[in-house]
Amino acid sequence: MKTDAQIPVAVPAAHAASIEGVTFTYHGADRPALRAVSFAQAAGETIGVMGASGAGKSTLAKCLNRIVPEFEDGDFHGAICIAGEPLEHLRVCDVAPKVGMVFQDFESQLFSTNVAHEVAFAMEQVGMDRAEMDRRIMPALEAVGLHGFEHRDPMSLSGGEKQRLAIASVLALRPSVIVLDEPTTDLDPEGRAEVFELIAKLRAEGLSLIVIEHESEELRAADRIIVLREGEVAADGPPAEVFARTELLTACGVRPPGLGRALELLGIDAQPKDVDEALEAILKAYPRLAKTLIERSPDAPVKPPPVAASKSPAFIGIENVSFSYADGPRVLDSIDLKVEAGEFLAIVGQNGSGKTTLAKHIVGLLQPATGRVTIDGKDRSQMRPAETARAVAYVFQNPDHQIFAATVEDEVAFGPRNFGLAEDEIRRRCDEALEAVGLQNERQSDPFLLSKGERQRLAVASVLVLRPRMLILDEPTTGLDHREQLRMMALVRDLNRAGIAIVIITHTPWLVAEYARRVVLMRKGAKIFDGGVREFFMQDELLRSSSFRAPEITELSRRFGTLALNTDEFVAWVKGRA
Amino acid sequence: MPIYLYIDRGTFVHRLHPTVKVFALFVMFWSVYWVDQPIALLPVGLVMLWIAQLTDSWPNFYRLRWLFGILVFTTTIAWMVFYRRGAVLVNIPVFHVSRLSLVFGFGRGIKLAELLAASVLFLSTTKIEEFTYGLQRMRVPYRVSFAISLSFRLVPLFIDSAVTIVDAQRLRGYDFNQGGPLERVRRYVPVVIPVFMGALRKANNMAMALEARGFGFSHEPTTFIEYPVTRTDVVAFVFLIGLGTMNFMFYWTGVGRIGPLK
Repeated sequence: MKTDAQIPVAVPAAHAASIEGVTFTYHGADRPALRAVSFAQAAGETIGVMGASGAGKSTLAKCLNRIVPEFEDGDFHGAICIAGEPLEHLRVCDVAPKVGMVFQDFESQLFSTNVAHEVAFAMEQVGMDRAEMDRRIMPALEAVGLHGFEHRDPMSLSGGEKQRLAIASVLALRPSVIVLDEPTTDLDPEGRAEVFELIAKLRAEGLSLIVIEHESEELRAADRIIVLREGEVAADGPPAEVFARTELLTACGVRPPGLGRALELLGIDAQPKDVDEALEAILKAYPRLAKTLIERSPDAPVKPPPVAASKSPAFIGIENVSFSYADGPRVLDSIDLKVEAGEFLAIVGQNGSGKTTLAKHIVGLLQPATGRVTIDGKDRSQMRPAETARAVAYVFQNPDHQIFAATVEDEVAFGPRNFGLAEDEIRRRCDEALEAVGLQNERQSDPFLLSKGERQRLAVASVLVLRPRMLILDEPTTGLDHREQLRMMALVRDLNRAGIAIVIITHTPWLVAEYARRVVLMRKGAKIFDGGVREFFMQDELLRSSSFRAPEITELSRRFGTLALNTDEFVAWVKGRA
Repeated sequence: MPIYLYIDRGTFVHRLHPTVKVFALFVMFWSVYWVDQPIALLPVGLVMLWIAQLTDSWPNFYRLRWLFGILVFTTTIAWMVFYRRGAVLVNIPVFHVSRLSLVFGFGRGIKLAELLAASVLFLSTTKIEEFTYGLQRMRVPYRVSFAISLSFRLVPLFIDSAVTIVDAQRLRGYDFNQGGPLERVRRYVPVVIPVFMGALRKANNMAMALEARGFGFSHEPTTFIEYPVTRTDVVAFVFLIGLGTMNFMFYWTGVGRIGPLK
């Protein structure tokens, strides 16, 4: 395994891509985004690139098709060759036939009103004749499983389908390398599964892929993993080797695979590729556990622990609420739900299942067509906005949808000023809210210059300042690296411990397992599950049909006839039994 | 709710050559421009009604019904302030209510409504790619024509994001309806800034994605969709020339004119 990035790599022409001593500093930045990065990609190799936000992953991807330094201004050194051909002096558009790039934001990379035309777009740009385009479109669509969608409007596709269409449009040019820059960040579990299945298929077909991704589990099938830290290569090798270095991964802001971490804590030297391999390794080290296996198939039901019936009165009451947008289908269908004061609830479900619409009914952004919403026993439709805001606050998925002020302090003070609080009180509350989210030293900073994680925490502070009794967070960890995710969720947990009820809308299984105490699963506007987290992860059929997978460590624990929600819980159980 | 206006139907209007469609839009604007008399605006209006029926574009007109109503009503009222000819029918301070001012104001309102209707019909029957192609064939450079047509695609995304931003600020107690007209405009700053910042980010991402897909590789990209010129295109072209000429003649002969401002 190579860890020293300073050594230039000798590159034979057979390589799909070679990067030699690439250093890049953005204009005005005080340190390089990439520092002497060197590696070579063999033809047909799939490389996973990981690292914290700001580690240089996207900059590296952009170097491969000359967006850096052609589009992004800065100081570039080093050499990049694609299929043995140097990229120096080429424009971004000249590199398009050699390097296909799929971006995270799927809406910004679709330009046509028709799927077939979208695939043709890049071919039109490079001046390909119509007959050749015709020959390439259908195979590209078939490769990504969009055969039959030729006449659909790309905007009518689901997130996963849009990303697969973006992949088809780069496949049609038959590039030497395909770079996927966090292609599943904005997708629901179904969309993620679709894209990763496609990546596995393309890898099996021998395409050279570079995949930038935060989740280590998704990259276990790659041929090689490169971990970046502060613009340098911190680790480079096969997944088994790199993922075994859990301390290094954590230091680099990467979440180590749960299974590997569990085995490490159990003193087992193995890097399992999946749950079966982990099971085998544990049984080898702890043969006594074989008895607990109790001839149980993975799908066999495990009796859930009893959930204590709550006697607390409902803080939020949703009674028989239905809703449709004008001329549209029903988005909420007869929903009944109670949320108690101080609860920690996760609402999960595929995109379009009604999660956000339900949350918007709670805060009063939407009015139910039938039924009613109550807050602390009062009909919400009779409450003044200030009264609702003091009871329930909503943090939108994208913090940039609310930030506008010149300083962090002004941004936080915006809400209380709207409600006419005295300046002294506003100052006191701002201090309190900024302290809670760890931004007390950024009072005078420009909010637009904060990192994504900091902006997300600022959004929390700007509603926390209204001292709500409940906080609804829509996808609070989307686009954050593992370190920022942990920090955000630690904040949310602290708020919950301080007595604020939390409702998170999320697609992330480990987040539900680690933090929530109750889960509501939505599908097509209906509530199809409402219960404890452990009980939820035992509903195999329900999970499968909702494309929601339990964390691997939970799946593994179920093979032993128990149910652990996280690595520590599982390790403690194994040690207790062994 | 879908924000795009394009309605996918297989009518002959949808199948017209993109250049003919862009030319038709131009002719509609031209025809409306020369005429003030509501009666003289009738032929163009009837042609548009016929096309709306033929292309099943009524849902788009229904969606914009308030805009059409407001355009005609406010224009009619506004011209009664500025167009001060003819015998006064009713004495209202500031307004000059006469048969002539009513006809003139109503005519102007109909003109604006017809300009809007022409645009709605064009967008209901023309895909973005056709728009780009049509402009290109009319000698507009590819980059410019692509940028114009892409802006139509971007508008709905910005509207979407503006709606979310309004919601976010409202939840923090912001009241957009306080104060007089100027104050109300000023109060949209907490929306305009995030929309603007978001638009910059989106435009930047889009520009990168475009170049990464080869945009700019060739000055004259090829086109995947073939647009053969058919007999229908020729007939439509001749018809449009006739319509444009007829409306110019309305102006030339004075049939379509009312009088100048006094």
